[in-house]
Amino acid sequence: MGKQYEIPVGAQHISLLEPLHFRFTTENEKIVKTDANVFYVHRGIEQACCSKFKFRQVSFVVGRVCGLCSISHTTAYSQVAEKLLKIEIPRRAKYLRMLVIELDRIHSHLLCLSHVAENSGFEALFMKTMQYREFSMELLEAVCGNRIQYDFSIVGGVTRDLKPEVADMILKRLDHFMPQLEELIGIYKNNWTLSLKNKGVGRISKEDAMRLNVVGPFARAAGLAVDVRNETEDLLPWKEVGYEMITDTAGDVHARNMVRLREIEVSIRIIRNVIAGLPESDLVTETKAFPEGEATVRLEAPRGELFYYAKGNKTQVLERLKIKAPTFSNVAGMVHAFTNNEYASAPAIIASYDPCLSCTAR
Amino acid sequence: MKLAPYRKKSPWILHFNAGGCNGCDIEILACLGPKYDIERFGMINTGNPKQSDVLLITGPVTKRTRERLVEIYAQMPEPKVVISCGACACTGGVFRGMYNCEGGVDQFIPVDVYVCGCGTRPEQIIDGVVQALGILEKKTRAMEESVRLKKEALKEGEQINRRHVAGEIKPALT
Repeated sequence: MGKQYEIPVGAQHISLLEPLHFRFTTENEKIVKTDANVFYVHRGIEQACCSKFKFRQVSFVVGRVCGLCSISHTTAYSQVAEKLLKIEIPRRAKYLRMLVIELDRIHSHLLCLSHVAENSGFEALFMKTMQYREFSMELLEAVCGNRIQYDFSIVGGVTRDLKPEVADMILKRLDHFMPQLEELIGIYKNNWTLSLKNKGVGRISKEDAMRLNVVGPFARAAGLAVDVRNETEDLLPWKEVGYEMITDTAGDVHARNMVRLREIEVSIRIIRNVIAGLPESDLVTETKAFPEGEATVRLEAPRGELFYYAKGNKTQVLERLKIKAPTFSNVAGMVHAFTNNEYASAPAIIASYDPCLSCTAR
Repeated sequence: MKLAPYRKKSPWILHFNAGGCNGCDIEILACLGPKYDIERFGMINTGNPKQSDVLLITGPVTKRTRERLVEIYAQMPEPKVVISCGACACTGGVFRGMYNCEGGVDQFIPVDVYVCGCGTRPEQIIDGVVQALGILEKKTRAMEESVRLKKEALKEGEQINRRHVAGEIKPALT
């Protein structure tokens, strides 16, 4: 047995967007043990949502849990509040929610891919991916009015309608983006330099993924067919708009990249179908009821399954709100998949998990 | 060596997330991308506090990131400029009053530029950094001025002696 060294990464590090602390125990440059410390950004949002804010304001607060998947959080909270109020939202609002969730997924996946490229040392590909990603931010701004923090879903429906000219713009931009996506798939799939840093790195087996309760693209890259869009039909009609499960078998960084890229294709198909089949109806279901009882909601955020639990007691303020974010489920898998990799690959592996710690810590 | 002109031409930026929602952070990442490309102004996002001139902070300060924030600020060499980026870094924003949030960067370290917005747009971030560069230049000048005055005072030894004779200052060594 060689000499073991401990290498700390974080809380502030160039390859991390957020405060996150890893302590790698390495032996001959190989990582043998990892400790993760993910709760630097705990703010106490759950407690504030149950005391400080009224239940209609909470959908704006939970959007600030995470800037990358804020639409998933606001939608999941809106759905759980609608279950407590026992109302059904208009069909057009459901479609518009799906539209924004999928646009958000495109921007989030492209951001993750560019981050993987940067942390693998491929700066030019980072620039290219960021360049191609900019269209999704512009579309989100056109649909919701803000580049991030959309506040699009509210309890009972959505805040804005989709104008016909914005719908045309989305379709045109998507047509423009398709060849760019083909190009990106070609690079991420076949580039030899990138494959040295990505293929066979950060591997997790299907059994381990199952055992450690991994979700999202991380699990689908390992071959586990887990996707909430495939399992629930009651709240958002995913199957109707052409959802398809994407899985891979290798379970390494390369497989995660490929799953993300192919999911972008599925997202584009969903957006096109949503715009083509957008039903005519109101945007909001008005009600004067107060939340009562208990409810749970699951929703597929860009990183995996997002879980909300809420309990109401017929007052303006909720009694309990529980958020379980996808990265929280993934932490055990993340720590496991570092084992037996070179320490130099660690930044690329961290980026390929697409960790979102502000979700995890709330 | 005069560092002032180079410092203004190529400021190195250190980004620290003090517990925010990632929204401003991805806009900072978008600033590095080709559309806004801040590297054409010579700005580089660096990871080492000891080499940076500008500290870009996002997020309300949580109780656990507070010490790290002050530590990073202390490690940066003078002259340095601090930008608080986003509504929650300026005042605490929506997180103000939550039990694990301190609320506002300026309670712990001096802030030079406040950039508003939730989430901050890349144009605003670039504008804030450009404003910070003006402040950085002023701070650099003030520092060089004070260094020059000290040196001049040392050169003009007789002046010091005269003041010494007049009893204004006490001799350092007897």
